[in-house]
Amino acid sequence: MAFAIELLNITKRFPGVIANNDVSVHVEECEIHGLLGENGAGKSTIMNILYGMSRPDEGIVRLYGKEVEFHSPMDAIQQGIGMVHQHFKLMPDETVLRNIILGWTPKKGLSIDEKKAMEEIGVIMEQYGLKVNLKAKIHQLSVGEKQRVEIIKALYRKVKILILDEPTAVLTPAETDALLETMQRLKKQGCTIIFITHKLREVLAVTDHVTVMRKGVVTGTGLTSEMNVGKLSKLIVGKEVSMEIPMKSYQPGKKVLEMKQVSTAMRPGRMPLKEISLEIHEGEIVGVAGVDGNGQSDLGEVIAGLIPAESGNILLDEEEITKSSIRERRQKGIAHVPEDRLKTGAAKDCTISENLILNCYDQAPFSRRMVMDHKKITRVSEELCEKYLVKTPDSTYTIGTLSGGNMQKVVVAREFSSSPRLLIAAQPTRGVDIGATQYIRTKIAELRDAGKGVLLISAELDEVMAMSDQIIVLYEGEIVARFKRGEADEYEIGEYMLGSKRQEVTYGE
Amino acid sequence: MESSLWRKRIEGAVRAIGRQLCMMLVAIMIVMGFLAVSGYSPFIVWEGLGRAFTRDLAGTIRWAAPMILSGVAICIPFKAQVYNLGVDGQIYLGAIAATAVALALPSDGSLAGLILVFAAAALAGAAFAMIPAILNLYCNTDIVVTTLLLNFVGEYLTEFMAAEVMRDPEKLTQVNASRTLPESLWLPKLAAFGNSSANVGIYIALVIALFVSFLFFKTTLGYEIKLVGSNAGFARYGGIRSSKVLLKAMALSGAVAGIIGAIEVTATQHRLVAAFNPDIGFDGIVVALLANNNPLGVLISGFFFGGLKNSGNVMERVTEVPNIVTQIIMAIIILTISANVTVRRRKRKKEALSK
Repeated sequence: MAFAIELLNITKRFPGVIANNDVSVHVEECEIHGLLGENGAGKSTIMNILYGMSRPDEGIVRLYGKEVEFHSPMDAIQQGIGMVHQHFKLMPDETVLRNIILGWTPKKGLSIDEKKAMEEIGVIMEQYGLKVNLKAKIHQLSVGEKQRVEIIKALYRKVKILILDEPTAVLTPAETDALLETMQRLKKQGCTIIFITHKLREVLAVTDHVTVMRKGVVTGTGLTSEMNVGKLSKLIVGKEVSMEIPMKSYQPGKKVLEMKQVSTAMRPGRMPLKEISLEIHEGEIVGVAGVDGNGQSDLGEVIAGLIPAESGNILLDEEEITKSSIRERRQKGIAHVPEDRLKTGAAKDCTISENLILNCYDQAPFSRRMVMDHKKITRVSEELCEKYLVKTPDSTYTIGTLSGGNMQKVVVAREFSSSPRLLIAAQPTRGVDIGATQYIRTKIAELRDAGKGVLLISAELDEVMAMSDQIIVLYEGEIVARFKRGEADEYEIGEYMLGSKRQEVTYGE
Repeated sequence: MESSLWRKRIEGAVRAIGRQLCMMLVAIMIVMGFLAVSGYSPFIVWEGLGRAFTRDLAGTIRWAAPMILSGVAICIPFKAQVYNLGVDGQIYLGAIAATAVALALPSDGSLAGLILVFAAAALAGAAFAMIPAILNLYCNTDIVVTTLLLNFVGEYLTEFMAAEVMRDPEKLTQVNASRTLPESLWLPKLAAFGNSSANVGIYIALVIALFVSFLFFKTTLGYEIKLVGSNAGFARYGGIRSSKVLLKAMALSGAVAGIIGAIEVTATQHRLVAAFNPDIGFDGIVVALLANNNPLGVLISGFFFGGLKNSGNVMERVTEVPNIVTQIIMAIIILTISANVTVRRRKRKKEALSK
């Protein structure tokens, strides 16, 4: 079979790093090709080259056997290559139709020929079995539907090759299954798909060939049918990783955190909490499942004190903290890994050590009478960097120079080293590669085994299910279900996540 | 590890000084071009500057003190990403307070009296700087706008005080000015320069610049200011109240500005004169920018600007080139700095994109 895409001996250098070193990828016509690798392995770089966003220093790109050179994504689209980015590029206040035809507008004189566009898009939706209401505004759609809009947008531009950049990261299990089905259908209709993902299960389920990258080079490529989870993860990480997280048996202790009918105020772009009641005990991980944007952000922040509770009570160790300041809560033992690393978790122009001492800079031994002891701070920072495997020459580098995974390790080091009573871990492994993910999960398990309470908020259902002793499901700011470990499978939880089922959840009988 | 920290700091300092020198050179070259086109000898600039740093060094020192202090006053809130454009107004308030206290003190006032005068000026400057900060916290007004507008309040308040409230009744001149301060409260001149305008103010500026760099690099308040400036969301998440930090930074800035007012009154004017301040506060913005907001760098750029200001006067005295040339040099320095900033930003954006 002929190759649709050949990326031959591509090398791309950035100051200080070689992002792609002699990388070759061959993608056959009408196949789904998986592209795997940790963050910083060079997947995005090679795809940006294919999509015309950057140009290789060495090497050539061939399309259907013909050598091509792209100067911008426009060139790539004209040659039939489309990309669906991880973060959608849609205008929320416009209709689906207008988002699709933007830049490729059929015109009748000076006005837009909406009727013609509707017909053309209708044909596409029919052909590929993709259904979306064209008259709806983008902000009314679910994440899965928005993604469908992005795919239709690409197909409308007569694209034959689709690059999907981590498309399942934001989807529920059911939505993921639907997407994988769509991909199969696109393939049958003659599309070639490059599927970038972290999730091995999906790669094994849907792809024909797979290419694995690590540290800028291709570490393995071949037929998916000849691969398995162990083999792939070894290629990705470079060594065997155990996906198992060792944990002691579940023995909950005293109540650490109690929330009684806590509600939060409505704010633009956020789902408020509605009378949430919740208990977390010592030595227990309570996992929060739910589709992004169903109140998870408010839940973490209201406990940490970043936003006020409008009504209800929050108790830490039986002590009222509803009105306490952020600082007081931290001193009483609440640690918080925030969901947005860059906006709240770190100050990227400050050094690693300045980021590490946030919780204790005004206490001995780091400072006395307002004067800081930099020697001590540097020493402790170096120790923390070493203990939490932060890859950096030393702690005087600004944190912005670190990769996402390493930055998260700094956040984790800071929050875990303060010997907390309760840890709020919001999306602790979002955008973090396999090695660091595994490491962070192990650390969370260690805290639980040491008798701390943990609230784990994660959009990754796998993570919630693997780690939690109790799972609660959030839907539109309410707890709609509660399970003990192993009580429900992902499809059942998925139904609660989408709001099609709900239970009566009560605490304290 | 400690040594690598120091090496990095020293490298940074050397690079910053080199950058300062380059930008000044570029600015001077461009001004030379302008002068040549307008029919003056372009080397007048060098002559003026040369004299400012040799024979007329005293004048340079006199101007360096307020320039350095003004740069420092801008630096402090700027580190927290707050723009205090009201340094000029705060200088006026400091001068009013200094004069009022000095005139109220018994005329045999000693060092203690002088300290009291400076303390009053610092307090007045701080209080005046708190007004926009408090307005920002409670009414969400824009600090840039309020500080800027309060400059006029400061200026006209000074005129009112000098013309009406504190006016010297025995003097029949047209100048709106207060009584002269008792000589015991005049800031001493530098003995090495004989009877010149160089005064002890430069030591005060040096001490304050060193104190503020200590504050920035070694104290918890400095850490808080830096955090609030680089990511306010992060600071809040760590439990730091940025409102408190803002108030402290603005108060400190205003206090430093107030001290400039006290120096101007006690060392140079010896009384409160209406409109005595030639926009020292705005020059401070350039001084701070040029020093990349580092109080130690401000020592150098402030000294250079003192020289520039002085050389303008020298040039006007010696040749017919107008004083305004120095302002052109400052304007061009601002342009080179902002051009530099945008170039760097573009570069970073490009790198981020290609990643």
